[in-house]
Amino acid sequence: MEKTILEVEDLVTTFKTAGGEVSAVRGISFSLKKGETLCIVGESGCGKSITALSIMGLLAANAKSRGNVHFNGKNLLELKQDEMRKIRGNDISMIFQEPMTALNPTFTIGFQLCEPLLIHRNLSKKAARQKGIDLLKQVGIPMPEKRMKQYPHELSGGMRQRVMIAIALACSPKLLIADEPTTALDVTIQAQILDLLNDLKEEFETSVIMITHDMGVVAEVADRVIVMYAGEVIEEGSVEELFNDPQHPYTRGLLASVPNVDDPEFKLNPIPGTLPNLNEEIRGCRFHPRCPFAMEKCVQASPVQTNRKQNHSVRCWLQEAEADEYSKCQPSSAV
Amino acid sequence: MPAETATKELILPAKKKEWEIGRIFKRLIKNKAAVIGLIIIILQIVLAVFAPAFAAHNPVKQDLSLAELPPGTDGHWLGTDNYGRDMWSRLVYGARISLFVGIGAVALGLAGGITLGLLSGYYRKLDGIIMRFVDLLFAFPGILLAMLIIAILGTSLLNVVIAISIWSIPTCARIVRGSVLSVKKQEYILAMKSLGASDTRILIKHILPNCMAPIIVFATMRMATAILSTASLSFLGLGAQPPTPEWGAMISAGQDFMWTSPHMIVIPGIAIMCVVFAFNVVGDALRDALDPGMNLEN
Repeated sequence: MEKTILEVEDLVTTFKTAGGEVSAVRGISFSLKKGETLCIVGESGCGKSITALSIMGLLAANAKSRGNVHFNGKNLLELKQDEMRKIRGNDISMIFQEPMTALNPTFTIGFQLCEPLLIHRNLSKKAARQKGIDLLKQVGIPMPEKRMKQYPHELSGGMRQRVMIAIALACSPKLLIADEPTTALDVTIQAQILDLLNDLKEEFETSVIMITHDMGVVAEVADRVIVMYAGEVIEEGSVEELFNDPQHPYTRGLLASVPNVDDPEFKLNPIPGTLPNLNEEIRGCRFHPRCPFAMEKCVQASPVQTNRKQNHSVRCWLQEAEADEYSKCQPSSAV
Repeated sequence: MPAETATKELILPAKKKEWEIGRIFKRLIKNKAAVIGLIIIILQIVLAVFAPAFAAHNPVKQDLSLAELPPGTDGHWLGTDNYGRDMWSRLVYGARISLFVGIGAVALGLAGGITLGLLSGYYRKLDGIIMRFVDLLFAFPGILLAMLIIAILGTSLLNVVIAISIWSIPTCARIVRGSVLSVKKQEYILAMKSLGASDTRILIKHILPNCMAPIIVFATMRMATAILSTASLSFLGLGAQPPTPEWGAMISAGQDFMWTSPHMIVIPGIAIMCVVFAFNVVGDALRDALDPGMNLEN
């Protein structure tokens, strides 16, 4: 199919804190093809956003990333600051969760929309303004000339997120990282924004990494899905595979935690417990304290990645156990 | 997607907001004291700019035959000093000097303070060094620091400006640093970084405008301090030298005649008091007007 534009290999991100070094991302690998939408799913604090910021090179000063992030033949983690700056906003750009705080309240929409064009394209102010108006039209904002002169607080949440998308797409990036772009929005506006992102993705021929904890969003936009838990990728597969045949107990748990409106008999089935603390030492599989299927082996060693099919891989000892003796580890209460 | 909501969102009318500065001004003039202060400041600026038109006499021309005339004398409505110089003309030209010193010292102090504050707030590595330097400046009592600087540079009005501006730097640097520390953690700064903006661009174009409110208040209040300090330094003989019609110097010259011609010290004294009062109340009112949390009228 299309060529790979982003290849993340064994990315490890650690933070130096007063309590010692903690790892937020523990050796994750994935790749992204041109025009593809990849969803990274997981609970809050599982390392999704840190992964995104690691790719962008925008981590806080006390953080460090190891591994390889190949983008367009370059290893982003080895680039110098000013080389990286040329890539940010130009080849890779990002949309943030909260459109209210991601826009500078002291400047007009127009000013902020023109910034990437002035930084990367060396356009004149007039040309940048014209391009800005075109962009606002593309993201479906009526009366763009007027909006250019308004301040962020004068726009509704959905409008602001549209502006954020326009800013992110200003330089036609090859990769767009959207960090929970719909979480702060109303459900109806969410649908609009997702539709818009899908349309614009085709129009700008952009690949998208969508970070979310909302399985509904995943079903709507994803081509491929990565499920993260406590800094590790535990399951990866195409969206159909993952929804129809989830393998990891955590993935199944996530899907069981989504309310089903069509089925009146449906009962929510939350995953017990909470995400472990970053500096908590857990031997073996990091999910085993919460896993209803946990076996002795899960405590002893970290599970290896098993490829079930060509586009579906899981990190769980159950995969091995299933091969020999699946029935033994069936718990009394099914998930 | 429900079409109804879509249209609802799209036709959301843009609320008409008044121009930001206009709104701040409206809130400012709700404060009565601030209005009086503003009038005094405007009066001083007008007097200073058009001093030759307002002054009836040459402010430094001596005429001993007219010495120590009391206020209300024909032709010299505020009287004359011990050398027969017209008090009103000296006062008007003095307004020019105090305005010059105030603006000069505050501008220089802001330039230094903002630079140091931006750097130390943004770059953690520079923070320690710059803030220790600022602490060092803080360690001196203000007027003593100014006197020390003048002792090194020599007495002149320009050196007073420099001395007072250096004295303003540490406070300004602290204020700016504090604002930068809070602004730089905002998501829109991260968003700017994700667009590839350089540090310089982020600092000057995006962080500085967000720190403007406390800087404006500081500058206004500092004008009062600068004017008062110039008068103090001139009174001590370290600032403007005779025959320059500086208000502090006028008081200093008049103290020998305090009992015979009290107007020689009372008139420049009132002028200093009014101007310092004006800048202080306007600064206070500006702080309230610029603070969105103080928007109590609605």
